[in-house]
Formats: sequence, structure tokens, C-alpha cells
Amino acid sequence: MFRNNYDNDSVTFSPQGRIFQVEYAAEAVKQGSVVVGIASKTHVVLVAIKRNAEELSSYQKKLFAIDEHVGIAIAGLTSDARVLSNFMKMQCLGHRLTYARDMPVRGLVDMLASKAQTNTQHYGKRPYGVGLLVAGVDEAGPHLFEFQPSGLTEEMQAFAIGARSQMARTYLEKNLDVFPDCGREELIRHGLRALKESLVQDKELTVDNTSVAVVGVGKAADGSHKPEQFKVYDGHDVNAWIESVGDDKEAAGAEEGEGMDVDKS
Amino acid sequence: MVAPPAFSCRRAGSESSHSSSDSTTSIGTGYDLSNSIFSPDGRNFQVEYAVKAVENGGTSVGIRCKEGVVLAVEKVVASKLLKPGANKRIATIDRHMGVVYSGMIPDGRHFVERARGEARSWRDQYKTPIPSDQLASRMGGYLQVYTLYQSVRPFGITAIVGGFDSELEAPVDGEVGNGPSVGAGGKAQGKTYGGPKLYMLEPSGLYWGYFGAATGKGRQSAKAELEKLDLAGEGGENMTLEQAVKEAARIIYVAHDDSKDKEFELEMTWISASTGPTKGLHQEVPKALRDEAERLAKAALEGDDEDEAKDKMEE
Amino acid sequence: MDHRPQAWGRPRDDIYGAYDGTYLNHNGPKQATQSPVVTGTSVIGIKFKDGVVIAADNLASYGSLARFTDVKRLRVFLDTSIVGFGGDVSDMQFLDRHLNELAIEEAYETEPLATTAEDGAVSRPGVLNAANLHKYLQRLFYARRNKFDPLWNQVLVAGLDAASRPFLSSIDLRGTAFTSPSLATGFGAMLAQPILRTHAPTEEDAAKLTREQAVNAVKECMKVLYYRDARSLDRYSIAVVTKEGIELKEDEQLEKQSWAFAERIKGYGTQTV
Repeated sequence: MFRNNYDNDSVTFSPQGRIFQVEYAAEAVKQGSVVVGIASKTHVVLVAIKRNAEELSSYQKKLFAIDEHVGIAIAGLTSDARVLSNFMKMQCLGHRLTYARDMPVRGLVDMLASKAQTNTQHYGKRPYGVGLLVAGVDEAGPHLFEFQPSGLTEEMQAFAIGARSQMARTYLEKNLDVFPDCGREELIRHGLRALKESLVQDKELTVDNTSVAVVGVGKAADGSHKPEQFKVYDGHDVNAWIESVGDDKEAAGAEEGEGMDVDKS
Repeated sequence: MVAPPAFSCRRAGSESSHSSSDSTTSIGTGYDLSNSIFSPDGRNFQVEYAVKAVENGGTSVGIRCKEGVVLAVEKVVASKLLKPGANKRIATIDRHMGVVYSGMIPDGRHFVERARGEARSWRDQYKTPIPSDQLASRMGGYLQVYTLYQSVRPFGITAIVGGFDSELEAPVDGEVGNGPSVGAGGKAQGKTYGGPKLYMLEPSGLYWGYFGAATGKGRQSAKAELEKLDLAGEGGENMTLEQAVKEAARIIYVAHDDSKDKEFELEMTWISASTGPTKGLHQEVPKALRDEAERLAKAALEGDDEDEAKDKMEE
Repeated sequence: MDHRPQAWGRPRDDIYGAYDGTYLNHNGPKQATQSPVVTGTSVIGIKFKDGVVIAADNLASYGSLARFTDVKRLRVFLDTSIVGFGGDVSDMQFLDRHLNELAIEEAYETEPLATTAEDGAVSRPGVLNAANLHKYLQRLFYARRNKFDPLWNQVLVAGLDAASRPFLSSIDLRGTAFTSPSLATGFGAMLAQPILRTHAPTEEDAAKLTREQAVNAVKECMKVLYYRDARSLDRYSIAVVTKEGIELKEDEQLEKQSWAFAERIKGYGTQTV
């Protein structure tokens, strides 16, 4: 039987020049529940489906604030995400301490990228098993980045990662042209609609399983750059948004609540 | 064009032997499973596989002419959701030097960071910008180290480094006075210093200086086009930097033509002498010039297609 | 007489006594810089409605010797800010190189690969402004003093802040940092600062000053400093930072000097009565 000999570690190239361990790590991202991010000219939103391990357990958080002006959405190994989130928090805090300003998002993401790249080039390390969407606002405006376990980080107009995220991406591609001029609320609704595309047949967005986060450009009283702080909304705070997108699609056999085992794979 | 080195000639031979035979039989001998292991015929397979990673990447091109250096890259647009123009692939190493690479992009960023570190440590020691040949030498050494140990893998990139070493007698970093009125010593009368430099570094650590360099997916056709320009002879002497920009754009378009279905973005940077348009700095080619170069490139391709169509009609 | 080769060229023990190598012993605490060596004197600066004027003379003194007379003590950072250095000149050179590297790093993200607008204009949002640079230098000076190895300078940072308003600040070798409508280091703190304050006692007053008024005030102070500070020079550098950029002149000559007042000064040097 054929056995792939080139996939045991991240320091071995296959004859085609691929590194299977890194590709497998990318698969871990697809095990996580779906998260969507969209950027307009003024805002970036992140929306996510939360899962709970069992009925009586709480839901795993998917959206995290890194600093006042940056936040992330995670898909994959949560504990790896915590390491990266911690790292990003330290970078942002350090930058604020030394330069008295918000860390530029591209710089932050580049540091994350090189941290992840190292793990793909040295024996005894493994790639991170998590993908991130990084949403932030700096003096150049709003930014949305996708981070992959390979260390590839690219700036996107909109993106979705996680289980069944292809459907969400298809929605995003279809509506790409309207995003730049969307207002804050409209952008959130687009995010939720994209999220709904990725739900399995009989599941719905509920106040329990849905998270929303927003960050936006803004000005201080003196006219200097001062972003609308990154804020995560959960529970009843997201109810109005869920309802506002509730009837655009014929909901298939809506079961109340219990969004817990959405797309378990 | 600089003659291809013996090493890469042999590698080219080994590639063809791969593609001609069943891949599992020619490589399954076990000597290709970890880095730094020689096969009985003296090959390091892992380095060769790293080259394969390069050959899957978007085409990169570098052109050296008398007035400066141009770097260009074909950025394949993998998803419509990518933000257009936002993900730069050509990086600045020091003010006067840039690098473009084909292959695994995260590896490229690692390369860039190291190169910046080398440029910085050179400045720390010598209080002057790093000469291009020194940067190439140091980075060649760095790449080579990653072929020596089983605990690491080689870089999955081939990098093209372009720089313009200052032709002026520049002050050292941190100089506060006017310096001696006769200028610095140690220079021969009538000899010119500095100038445009272009190097290409492979995963093995091997590097050469080039008049025109190409790597990545479309390297074959790009190299053929570069050779037509005769950059080593009259071509390099007579070509202006603007012409080089236009040629680089055209070559990227020609190299891309083979896989018409995928869209791509063209990114270009240039470095001139202190008297030229970039004043010795590595900068993005201004949008107006890039647009013009792209327009000409497209026109040239269409011209070719029409010629081909005409030829067919005549047949 | 000691004829061994290792004694060649050395002072003879029989004449000069045995070599005293005690200074090579490291018994005491480690000592870093205890005092500056080659020094620059005052730097002065004042805000006006559109920007900041900053000046420093071109002298580097070796003790009381006027050693170097072409030293540029106003250094440009990223075409956005000016740092004026007082104190040790070699530490100034170190900082200049350090800031040069910082500027190169900044340019990786912003300068050549800047976001290019549709009209082809290159904008550089997010480039470090003077307020950011001020905070950076404050951290740097304070970190060094905590290592008991201070950078022996007092510097002024002139430029614009995040809201594009004039920005002027001072940082010293202890990491002490503050801003003010007008500032001066070294002797200037005693001699020039009071004069500058008559021109702009508050931020509001500074915001009413014209560029010409500010430049004249600074030139007037440079003249007073040359009259009264023995470690100063009549050649100086002056820079004006505004939104439009930096105008730096590095070889200015003090004009309209009058030393008539010197006649009336009594009680110094070799004067008898």
C-alpha cells in the first residue's frame, strides 16, 4: 500500500515541493466553526458561529480583542490561538508604550507571520493549527487580514475561514462590490448573511451561537486618528441583528435555540 | 546572460529524469527523506525539491541596465476576495536595495527579514550602506546553512536582489561635520565606484550576478525574452531605466501568457543612480509609468497574437 | 638595565619606577560614562501657529577648547521631525545612527511601497510623527539611565503631532520628558528660555505667533547666547518644521552683533577695577 513518507514533519519537502505537515495544519483550521470578516472604507466586522462541547457547557468564544484598535476571529485549535493572541497583545502594548500610538496592523500581522513561518522550517516544531482573521484600524484606515498556519498573511476585502466556509466566501464574492460603501450596520448584516450560508441544513443563528465584533475609523476631538474601539457583541446584544437578517431566506425547519452542534465534523 | 553554473546544469538534468520516469520509483530510494543527506550519486534531493516549490510560484524578473535596476513580479490573484494592490511582494532591504522572490511566500518574508538584519548589522559595523555584493554573499551563506542540517529544511524560494551601490562619496552614518575638504581617502583616481547590481540566489545558497534574471513558473519564456534584450552587450548599455521598466512589464506578461485563465497583478520597483528618478532609493514604480508599461505589454502581446493568427490564415 | 625584548620602548623602571598597572584592576564598581567629553551647548526652539522653529550653533567643544566648528546638531528624522542635540557629541552620533536605522525600518512599510492613491500621489499615513519620536526617545533615554549607562544628551524634538499641530518637546539623559510652547537646553535654559517666554508664555500665545516672529525670536536668542555663553559660536543651524516639510539651514552667521555692552561688564577675568 502506498504510504506518504513526506508528511511526518515540517522540514521535509515532497518531490513536488510541498510540505504536507503545513497542509495538514491548514486542515485543522477547517475543523473549527466558521468565522467571517468584511472590511468597508470605514469599518471592519467579524462575525462567528460559536460551538459548545455539550448541552450544559458554555460556548467557546471565537472573537477576541487584542488592543483598542485590533481584534481577531479564530478557527482551529483554540489553545494555539491563545498563544498567538497573547503574542499580539504583547506586541500592541509594547508598541503603544514605546511610540504612544496604535500599532500599524500590517506590522503586527507581519510579526505574527514570521513567528508562524519559523515553525514550518525547524525540526521538532509544528505549525500552528489555527487560522485567524485579523481586523484592525490604523492611520491608513481599516484592514482585514487572513492568517494561515503556513505563515501566509494576506490583506483581504472580505473573507471566511473554518468549517463549510466556502459557501460564505461565495456569498462574499457575489456581494464584494457593495462592501466598500456599506455602513456599520449594513456590514454586520452582510456578515451574518454570509455566516448563514455556511450553516448546516437545520441550524440557525441564535443569540447563543452568534458573535459579532466591530472596529471602525474615528477621530478624536482634536482631529487626530482615534478609532472606534474594537468591541465584541454576544448574547442579547446580537439579537436585533439576527432578527434583521432572519427573514431574507426561507429558514429550513428552524429548530429553536440549540445551535450547539453546528457542522461538527 | 551569465552562463548557467555547472551545478544548475546538473540539476536540470535530474529534473528531466524525474519527469520522464514514475515518480515513486525514481525517488523512493530513501535518500530524499531528510535534508542534508547525499544520495549515492551525490545529490541532495531535499534541495532539489525546494526548487520545485519555487517553480510553482509566480514569475519574478530583474533587469539591470546602465541607469539602474528594475524588479517585477507576477502576483497570481488566488482569490477575488484579496484586497487589490495591498499585498506587496517586493520588499526593501535597505534604502538602496530591494528583493523579489518566487516560491513559498512565508519563506520569502523570512529571507527579507534576515536580509534587513544583515543590512542593519553592516551599518552598525561600517556606518555605511551594505554593498549589494556583500548582501548577496551573506544571504547566500544564510541559505546554504539551511541545506546542512537535518533539523531544518532549505528555503522554498529563489530570490532576486537588486541594488544601486552609491556612486557618490557619501558621508558615513552619524557624520556631523563637513569631513576633510579633499574627501575620503583610499580611492583610485579616475576609477568609478558603485553602480547597479543584480543577483539571484537559489535554495542551495548558490548565487550569481546577472544582467537579467528570472525565476518562478514562467522563468523559461522570461529568460528567453531577457536574452533577446542583449543586456550584457549593447542592450544593457543603451537601455534607459524607463525602457527596462517597460521590458520587465512585457516579460511578466509574456511569461504569464501560458496560463491565461488566472488573473494576476503586476508589481514593479526600481532603483536608479542618485541623479536618476529615484535618487538612489529603492521605490515602487510610479503608477503612471506602470500603467503605461502594462498598456504597452498588453499591446505587444495582442500584436503577437495577431501575427500568429495571420500566419495561420496564410497557412 | 633591562635588555629583554619585552622591555624595549618602555620607560625604564630604574628611572621612572615600576609600571603602575593598578588602573587595570577591576575591583571597584563598573563605571560607565561619568561625564560627557566633546560637547555641544544650547538648543532652542519655539512653536508658532503653523509649526516649530529650532536652532543650535555649530560648535563642538572639548572642555573649554572650541574643537570642532562645523558640527551639525540639528538632525532630520524621516523628513517629518527635527531632533536638536545638546550634550555629548559621540552619543549624539550614536543616536543619529540609531534614528537612521529606525527611519529605514519605518520606510519598509511606508515609503517606497506606500499606499498609492488613484491619482498616483504617494501618501504616507501612519509614518512616525514627532510625538511618536518623542515617546520613543523618552523610553530610550530612560532605559539607558536605568542601566546606569546614560546617553549624555538633552535633546529637543520639533515637528507635528498626530493632529498636525506644532509639537516641541525636551528629553534629557535621565529620561525626563516634557513639552512646552518654547524650550531650551543647557545654558539656553537660563539665558534664552526667559526671552522666548516673553514671546510665547502660553500655548495660545504661541498659536498667534507668525513664522517670521518665531524665527526672529530664535535668532535674537542665538545672539544673546553667543554674547554670554563662552562655549558657543556665531555660526549656527536653524530649521523650520511645518506641514509643508522641513527647511533646514546649516551654515547661518549671526548678524548685527554689537559688543558695546561688553565695555560695561565689570568684575571678570584680568580686569583691574
